[in-house]
Amino acid sequence: MILETKGLSKRFGQQYALKNVNLKILPGEIHGLIGENGAGKSTLIKILTGVYSRDEGQVLWEGQAVELPNPHASRRLGINVIHQNRHLVPQFNAIENVYLGLDYEKKAKVAIDWKKMRSEVEKIMEELSIEVPLNVPAMYLTPPQKTLVEIIRGMMTDCKLFILDEPTASLTDKETEILFDLIMRLKQKGTSVLYVTHRMEEIFKLTDRITVLKNGELVSTVNTKETDLAGLVALMTDNWESKKRVTDHKMGADLLRVTGLASADGKVKDASFAAREGEILGIFGLSGSGRTELLEAIYGLRKSARGEVMLNGQPYHRRTPRESLKRGMVLICEDRRGQAIVESLSIRKNTVLSRLDHYAKAGVMDSKQEISDTQDQIRALDIKTKGINQVVRELSGGNQQKVVFAKALLTEPKVFLCDEPTQGVDIRTREEIHNLLREKAEQGNAVVFVSSDLQETLDVVDNIVILTEGRTTRVLKNENLTSEQVLAHCYAGTQAKESSR
Amino acid sequence: MIKRVDYRNLTKSYGTILAGIVVTVVFSILRPDAFATLANLINITRQISLLVVIAIGATLVMSIEEFDLSVGAMASLGGVLAAKMAVAGVPIFLCFLVPPIVAFGIGFVNGWIVTKFRVLSFIVTLAMSTIIGGFTFWFTGGATVFQNIPRSFRYVGSTTVFGIPLLTIIMFALVVLFWFIMKHTSFGRKLYAIGGNEVAAEVSGINVRKYKILTFSLCASLAAFTGILMSSRLGSAHPTGGDGLFLQSYAAVFLGRTVFKEGVPNIWGTFVGAAILGILANGLTIMQVPTFLRDLLTGFIIILAVIVQKVGRDRD
Repeated sequence: MILETKGLSKRFGQQYALKNVNLKILPGEIHGLIGENGAGKSTLIKILTGVYSRDEGQVLWEGQAVELPNPHASRRLGINVIHQNRHLVPQFNAIENVYLGLDYEKKAKVAIDWKKMRSEVEKIMEELSIEVPLNVPAMYLTPPQKTLVEIIRGMMTDCKLFILDEPTASLTDKETEILFDLIMRLKQKGTSVLYVTHRMEEIFKLTDRITVLKNGELVSTVNTKETDLAGLVALMTDNWESKKRVTDHKMGADLLRVTGLASADGKVKDASFAAREGEILGIFGLSGSGRTELLEAIYGLRKSARGEVMLNGQPYHRRTPRESLKRGMVLICEDRRGQAIVESLSIRKNTVLSRLDHYAKAGVMDSKQEISDTQDQIRALDIKTKGINQVVRELSGGNQQKVVFAKALLTEPKVFLCDEPTQGVDIRTREEIHNLLREKAEQGNAVVFVSSDLQETLDVVDNIVILTEGRTTRVLKNENLTSEQVLAHCYAGTQAKESSR
Repeated sequence: MIKRVDYRNLTKSYGTILAGIVVTVVFSILRPDAFATLANLINITRQISLLVVIAIGATLVMSIEEFDLSVGAMASLGGVLAAKMAVAGVPIFLCFLVPPIVAFGIGFVNGWIVTKFRVLSFIVTLAMSTIIGGFTFWFTGGATVFQNIPRSFRYVGSTTVFGIPLLTIIMFALVVLFWFIMKHTSFGRKLYAIGGNEVAAEVSGINVRKYKILTFSLCASLAAFTGILMSSRLGSAHPTGGDGLFLQSYAAVFLGRTVFKEGVPNIWGTFVGAAILGILANGLTIMQVPTFLRDLLTGFIIILAVIVQKVGRDRD
């Protein structure tokens, strides 16, 4: 046993992020770690690398109980981690980056011995039979080269456990293969690897054993050869069936139709779907699948490269937020404080923000109308406030979100794009928002609903569009649908792509 | 029942105004004969009129959380341009009209570059300031324009209406106008929304880029106008005559932010800030305090005001 945790727990406030986790990693094995968002994967990694301190339990390293008070301590034991976002100094070359945090080789204890450092790095490269240009600043290296530099850095000290956190997130298929090759070689050298990912095909390709986390608890550790996709998904998620929906309300014409949409930055690759009058359409995908980016591209907040948007039966090409609002489409942003509200302004000024021109006569604001409309919204949405002039910063998360909705409703939209509309709000407000959206749909509007909470999505929506790595793969009718089925489609999407190569 | 006065809250909300009153009272006690007179009060308003006008522009730019460091150079250019035109016999109203229009164009370029390439306005306008300075120097040959300036050009800067300088009247007119614009028009609302959260403003359908460019343009126009008023008042135009107003104008805006508890740049706040700076300068001059001491004091007061307000707000 290279590493073992016994009864490991971590709390944030009252909430357990990890609970009684008993993880065992064998020498020379590739150990997969999977789980849904919030299952505790990154918390576990952070404890093992000395970033977080544990609240309960023990960490055993080669059978000895150890303390991991800081990243340095864990590195000294032989634990190295490569994060999803690589930690390299862009201006430094590979050698300088490899020696970050290590003592530089010195001549006569003063001058840095570059020659010695270079030969040390070359030695490691030879051992792993990899090749990285050493004289080039890291910013000019390709993503896999950067990963290699980090791996070299890890191997400089006596590394016995390598933790790789979503290492392929920014790699192309070919680059991924190079990385896999290297991981296999590390394994042959006897180094253990803890491999964290949500890409199932990688899990099956690489790992010897797989540990599944769910809600902070270790569900099971299984041998990769003895399991399959369905088995893993079943372990990862509580399986519940969606409440059988009353879908007797009639759906009308397509209000929003998206065809082959791709964003300029490539986060959205090929999205097509339609949302109808009276429909709440869910878009569900794993993290990084491009949900937020898709909504932003439709709304005109993010540049599109290809594809068509039809709004209200009209083609809508040059999309900007301003034009979207004018045409009756509103976006409730995921990032409330960053994108949806102006915290320093009052409720009133936020509420009317999208309709300033409407309230202005020859440029001068009609305060009376503005005040009465704001008061109407406060009453209708039951916003808890000291008054319309209270600064939004002072409101609770739920009430802030209601202000965002008040602002949206004043524009009288036909199409609602809602990105995590209940994030960070209390249970009651959450319920109120669900009811509001249902009500708006029943009045003949279309609601596009995005939530990373699958259960919430299944409770709220009529149909679900599956989004996988920027592509819409499937539309599911939300009747007797189970969470497993939905997740299976999400993961299947990545596999289908894999096999089609 | 005696209501307890919340001193902390009071200093936080009105600390800057209080400081202004204290300064005024002190000068009035020390030099009642020279300082605390109606004539001197009117004198002070005229002295601060140029600062207030240029600082209104700076207030606009700061309300969208940007900087325009070229206002000083722009004022110099405006003054020189107007004076040269007047000397050349161009009708006076054109002398007052053309430089602000030219400045509007330069401000447009500032705003265009800042928004198009998403670069820091700090750097862009600093560079623009240098460019304008260089142009003005070439345009004048580095010499002050003072010969043959027609009397009519000097009229605006020197005349009084019922004993009140026209400059004072222009200043108050602009303060009221821009106060109204910032407070009661959709334009003002949009600027504050952009300053508060640019992305949220964009998401809410505000054409952020357009309003930012417009703000830079307006700010530049006001700066050029200030320069014209200055040369009209002095009867001469120096190629670096407006440069001194640049730091002072931002001092006024920063002091002005501290006047009301919202802590955002605002027109009346800027006026109060400029007034405090003006009262200090006037009073200390009457007291025959050396200039260097005046500068020291002014600097300290600005730092103090900003700290006091920051500390007050952080405790909330």
